[in-house]
Amino acid sequence: MPTRNPLSRVLRTLSSIKTGVILLILVVIASAIGTVVLQRPTTEADQIERTYSPSALYWLDKLGLTDVFHAWWFVVLLVLVATSIVLVSIDRFPRAWKVLTNPYKVTDSHFRAVLPMQDKIPVADEDAALSLAERAFQKVHLKAERVGPGKEASLYAERNRFSVLAVYIIHASLLLIFLGGIVDALVGYKGFLMLVKGQTLSQVELSTKKVKELPFAIRFDDGGRENYADGSPKKWWSDLTVIEDGKEVMKKQIVVNDPLVYRGVRFYQSTFGDSRKIDSLTLLAILKADPKVRKEVTLRGNAATAIDDDATVQITNFIPDYVIRDGQIYARSNDPVNPAIQLKIESKKAGTTGTWLLPEDPQNSNAGPTPWAFAYKSGELAPFTGLSVSHEPGQWGVWGGVLLMAVGLTMAFYCVHRRYWAVVVNDPKLGTVLWIGMQADKNREHYADEFKEIAGHIRNELQIQSAVGTTEEKSLAHA
Amino acid sequence: MARATVEEHPQKSGYALLVAVTIGIVFLLFVAFLNTVKPAPGAPPAPFFTESNLLYVALILYAGASALYIGFGVTGLDRYVKTASLLTLLGFLANTVAGAHRWYSAGHPPFASVYEMLLSFVWTVALLTLIAERKYKVQVIGSVTMPLAVVGVVLMQLLPNEVRPLVPALQSTWLHIHVTLAMLAYAACALSFALATMFLIQDNMKTETFQAATSAMVSAIYIAILATRFTGAGGLSLIAWDFQNKEEVFLQRGVRLFVTVPDLGWLFAIVTLAVFAPLVFYAWGRVKHDESKYLLASRGVFLSIALQVLALAFFVLRARGGFYHSADADGTFQTSLAASPFILAGLVSGIFASLLYLMMVWRRRDLERLLPTADALDRITYKTIGIAFPLLTLMIAAGAYWANRTWGSYWSWDPKETWAAITWLVYAAYLHMRVTRGMRGRVAAYFAIGGFAVVMFTFFGVTYLLPGLHAYA
Repeated sequence: MPTRNPLSRVLRTLSSIKTGVILLILVVIASAIGTVVLQRPTTEADQIERTYSPSALYWLDKLGLTDVFHAWWFVVLLVLVATSIVLVSIDRFPRAWKVLTNPYKVTDSHFRAVLPMQDKIPVADEDAALSLAERAFQKVHLKAERVGPGKEASLYAERNRFSVLAVYIIHASLLLIFLGGIVDALVGYKGFLMLVKGQTLSQVELSTKKVKELPFAIRFDDGGRENYADGSPKKWWSDLTVIEDGKEVMKKQIVVNDPLVYRGVRFYQSTFGDSRKIDSLTLLAILKADPKVRKEVTLRGNAATAIDDDATVQITNFIPDYVIRDGQIYARSNDPVNPAIQLKIESKKAGTTGTWLLPEDPQNSNAGPTPWAFAYKSGELAPFTGLSVSHEPGQWGVWGGVLLMAVGLTMAFYCVHRRYWAVVVNDPKLGTVLWIGMQADKNREHYADEFKEIAGHIRNELQIQSAVGTTEEKSLAHA
Repeated sequence: MARATVEEHPQKSGYALLVAVTIGIVFLLFVAFLNTVKPAPGAPPAPFFTESNLLYVALILYAGASALYIGFGVTGLDRYVKTASLLTLLGFLANTVAGAHRWYSAGHPPFASVYEMLLSFVWTVALLTLIAERKYKVQVIGSVTMPLAVVGVVLMQLLPNEVRPLVPALQSTWLHIHVTLAMLAYAACALSFALATMFLIQDNMKTETFQAATSAMVSAIYIAILATRFTGAGGLSLIAWDFQNKEEVFLQRGVRLFVTVPDLGWLFAIVTLAVFAPLVFYAWGRVKHDESKYLLASRGVFLSIALQVLALAFFVLRARGGFYHSADADGTFQTSLAASPFILAGLVSGIFASLLYLMMVWRRRDLERLLPTADALDRITYKTIGIAFPLLTLMIAAGAYWANRTWGSYWSWDPKETWAAITWLVYAAYLHMRVTRGMRGRVAAYFAIGGFAVVMFTFFGVTYLLPGLHAYA
């Protein structure tokens, strides 16, 4: 006797399909609201404040409508959906399991009376009739087995029994996907890592504004980009090296859509651009004392490069866009439109001197008592690479769940579970008949046609046999 | 499939329309041929098998097929539908070659711009019509789908069709898989919508209910346009178009420049009232149980169609010519039909739906003879959703996988993603209601129609009304 306590009533409500559909509709409504109301994680705070009045915003925040997908009640709703799925499956699975493990092979008279798809074909010879039925089943590629003891022998054929599990597989796959999502929500993280050429970092700025220290470091060795004719980006690539415990453990060139993966952490090519550092600078050094003496020097980074046996030059400061105010050089912006490069010249004879090279303003360059003057020939800024970092261990649950769902859906829609029975019985009106019956759980019209085909085969065979029999009788009679 | 009783009209052999359509097609193809082999003086002869020529050929063939399908819907003559089917097939082949040519010359499958999406969509519509005919034996469906294809190809002629290179985020096989699945899934949902509507015809849903639904749909389109684009002084706000670079004008990153087209807002407001009025009459008739109001509503629909055509004409004329002011910047700017593909699509769909309603009103008895039984349509709708649902599932999964590879996150509750999930849940509800609760017939048909409405919102509404990462498609 079922206990009518509150718990069992709650469980019963939760495991009903009606509840499930209502929960689905609630999830739909909540999600729709989450797309119409501006959501805090993805929208700038000042834009939200501009769109909603303070009192409206107060209520939206309080009800969790400005962050629906992380609101406690949304999580509860999803938990209820998951619980409902689990309960419905537990409720109905035993029946499916019974069909799977204990198929109904021998029919009883009540079953034979009520089965919708059936036929009764009058026969003379019992054994011959069953063999006929067997052959007829074979014609539609069914392998029948003989069941039941001796005299009460009957036939049973079945197809796609496993498809009764389809629904449970689909729902289990949904739970697996949920599980993956939960794992990622709890343990996973997403962030950003920006590296200038040559830089090594192991700290990632997470989307939650916290900083995560990785157990290994990433070094950006080199990178580049390709543009289309109209200037829009075609390809960005970065050569990355992973360094763990002081050793280089992995190298990879990444492009957009092809990340580097190490220990479950993924580094995606997200953005690319020029940093404020100089990668290489090619200058023409002209000796002030004798302007005919010219040498081309290429400086890399901040390294000192020799001009001749006497002097070296290195870059000590770089301002991409300078402006002079009160006789001082100031940085105006980060766009390299009007650069100023400060150089330090160390000469054994003349000592250490410094000067400014202004590529856009050669007249005012090279001020000061330096032995060499410099003209700008070419230069390249060091690129920076913007990497999206993510660690999502739960994604394997998600992808596994997707594959499982694909299997389940195929089974559910395209594998039809069919059962066929044949037995010789005594019918009050027709005498000895071959009773054949069939049941399909989907697409019944198509299988009704197949069933008629089987019955037709059997009837044809019987007619041929009886015709042969009659001819034999006749010829015997004539003989 | 029931044939029209030829004995009623013994002189109607149906050759007149066939001959007219054949002559029309041959003539138009000949004109197209002449245009390519007789180029401007001094210029070398242009190749015949260009993408635009092939699309023009496809357009001619689809238009011929549409005429014959509609003729079939009216008379039920078998030779109409057989010829229409042949023309659809030929048009489909031309469409396929055009698409392949586009793919080859662009270096990526045709999914990167509105023009390309229309090309793929029209191709899918033709394909599904051919499949529905052969597999499901629903031959009248061509009278709905082929005019839609014609509208699509015509729209394509109005849009810029340069090959645009793909930015790095879009260069991925998984993207192509995702978009292909989306096209197929949405097309299957569209098919289920058409089948569910046919079910309602066969299930004896009252004509005035159809009229109310059509009016409601068209009203929703016009109200959406007004709500988002009506400006205070009665103008309509449209996105400005940069003819030099063939793209929208941006004030800054992600912020488009809008111009105000004066008085167009008033016109649209009047049309909205005209489109909404039949719905009011219907409600009045329902509440007061007064059938004469339904007649008024019906007349109202005629008037609304005329006004809708007027609105479309003015919209096209104003959009294609003229310099307009903007509230956000100084000077005058131009706009273009290419800048407002959704408004254009909405206006055309409204007219299309209203015309379909009219055809149903005029020829309901014939349709009821030609369509399969309500029961059969109910089952076929279920089977179609049985194809659409797995496709939707795979589409979402492929999109999530692509997003994971490109941005490191397989699900970020982006509006497009969320609405795709909502669509999936609505069709899941359909399957649950049907399979488990045994709810068939009317309720199932409503769910199928509602599901397609959600699909339309996911595809158009999200991009038009809710901007986000998915803004390009």
